[in-house]
Amino acid sequence: MIHFHSVEIGYNTMLVQTGDLALKSGAIYSLIGSNGSGKTTFLHTLIGKKTLLSGTITLKSKSLISYKAKELARQIAFVEAKFDGVEYLTVREYISMGRTPHTDTFGRLRTVDIEHVENAIRTLCLEEFAERFTTELSDGERQLIAIARALAQDTPILILDEPTAFLDYGNRKILIRTLSYIAKNLGKCILFSTHDIDLCLEEKLNLLVIDQTTRKLLSSVNLTKQELLQIGFNFSSND
Amino acid sequence: MAIKKRDLIFFFTIFLLLIGAMVLHLFSGQLKLTWNEFIDSMFNFDVKNTQQLIAREFRIPRLIIAMVAGAGLAVSGMLMQTLFNNPLAGPYVLGINSGSSLLVALSLLTGFSFFQSDIGIIASALFGALIFGFLLLGLSMYIKSSISLLLIGLMLGSFTGAIITALQAISSAQELKAFTIWTMGSLQQTQFDQLPIILLFFVIGISMCFFLVKPLDVLVIGEKNTEILGLNIKRIRILSITVTAILTGLTTAFCGPIAFVGMAVPNLTRILLKTQSHGKLLLANLLFGALFLVLSDSIIQLIESFIPLPINAFTSLIGAPLVILIVLKRLK
Repeated sequence: MIHFHSVEIGYNTMLVQTGDLALKSGAIYSLIGSNGSGKTTFLHTLIGKKTLLSGTITLKSKSLISYKAKELARQIAFVEAKFDGVEYLTVREYISMGRTPHTDTFGRLRTVDIEHVENAIRTLCLEEFAERFTTELSDGERQLIAIARALAQDTPILILDEPTAFLDYGNRKILIRTLSYIAKNLGKCILFSTHDIDLCLEEKLNLLVIDQTTRKLLSSVNLTKQELLQIGFNFSSND
Repeated sequence: MAIKKRDLIFFFTIFLLLIGAMVLHLFSGQLKLTWNEFIDSMFNFDVKNTQQLIAREFRIPRLIIAMVAGAGLAVSGMLMQTLFNNPLAGPYVLGINSGSSLLVALSLLTGFSFFQSDIGIIASALFGALIFGFLLLGLSMYIKSSISLLLIGLMLGSFTGAIITALQAISSAQELKAFTIWTMGSLQQTQFDQLPIILLFFVIGISMCFFLVKPLDVLVIGEKNTEILGLNIKRIRILSITVTAILTGLTTAFCGPIAFVGMAVPNLTRILLKTQSHGKLLLANLLFGALFLVLSDSIIQLIESFIPLPINAFTSLIGAPLVILIVLKRLK
């Protein structure tokens, strides 16, 4: 789905170096790294908000930079760490915004658009919230409707920036399981950044770790927690 | 955009109220006129008939400019409030009016004959609104906090106010009078043969809004999300500011600065309709804005013989407490 060819990402100095890396559909990847290690920059590069220092990224065998904003929005959906809700905006209207890259100039929803919205609502079991205002929900519920909006966007790729940051333990677990379910059952490629190392290990997700010393992005599923802490945070249990 | 029964009742009520207010407005002048005189003044005009002359040259233009100004300012306010994501935004607060005022002051007070023609004043007001609109837009690229932007808008207002005062000090008594009357705001200066150009600019401005409905609907969840959903944020900003400049400039050119309509009406419609759907809000602001100003101007005409009030004073008297109420309700 997404291929990285010796990509270097950063601002003036290089923050992350990928080597050759492929992200597949039907899989879920969690991006781990310390604060300021370049997780958000990495994700922003994928949604076209940041240019590369070197190397190329290909999406469906086409160079990422050749995608126009609207084309890219049909391939990649992005969910921010937090959605605070907007007064008088209903959940259904919010989820319908996912259809933006598919509708005409005047934003009219066709039957197919409405189907995608209703499917997203059903997949995340949000039927009872659909007519509520987005300001009336809890943080956990709002994170779920943000994912529903991304699902309604009907893209093969889903990217989430620290989706668990503002949630309690129960909601974190629900969120990560929901994402795993979506990746496996809807065949999407999901990439999200997180600090929830324990949960990722428990749920046996694919890990992408930014090595604190070499700045290399390591891909692995078989790391122990100690190894992970050592690589990503320069933190050994003997300290 | 699902239309609920509640919305239909709302639009129908506002529409009926507007029709009622229009009739009240036409008949609320000092001189009593009949329906026939209005109809004849339009289709069978007799210049020698005083009643018909008053109907054609005073009553009808005054009603139309009241509707155009009310609707235009309300729609501008809606655009600014969504664009800057702030319920306190509006063409007046952001200083877009000040741009018009400054250029009109320059043209009225410097005595250039070209500038004192109708077209000259419209052009000055439009140009002033555009300059200040884009100045604000430029600043908004660097200043993320919308409170700072509002403050800058207020400062622009004070700054131009000072320049205008300086201009007034050096201008002749006659120029000063023309300008002072203009600043009080007036719906009485419009003439019948100016209506086509007014309506033309109004229709252009409102038509452009239809292209803003979809982007503004998405913009309520933030600029970053809007971009990620594939929309061009710069295009949205430029179009919104241009429409605001056209509608505000047009109103300011013909009626002078009118405060609070652009801030109060869009807030009221959002609260009454409880929606963020800009298709509905656009229609609601057109109707409610027109209703608000037609009703205000009718009241002004009815109490004219007791207390003569300029329109700008009246909208501030009603608008300022209304805005305080809205702030208390929305920002609590």
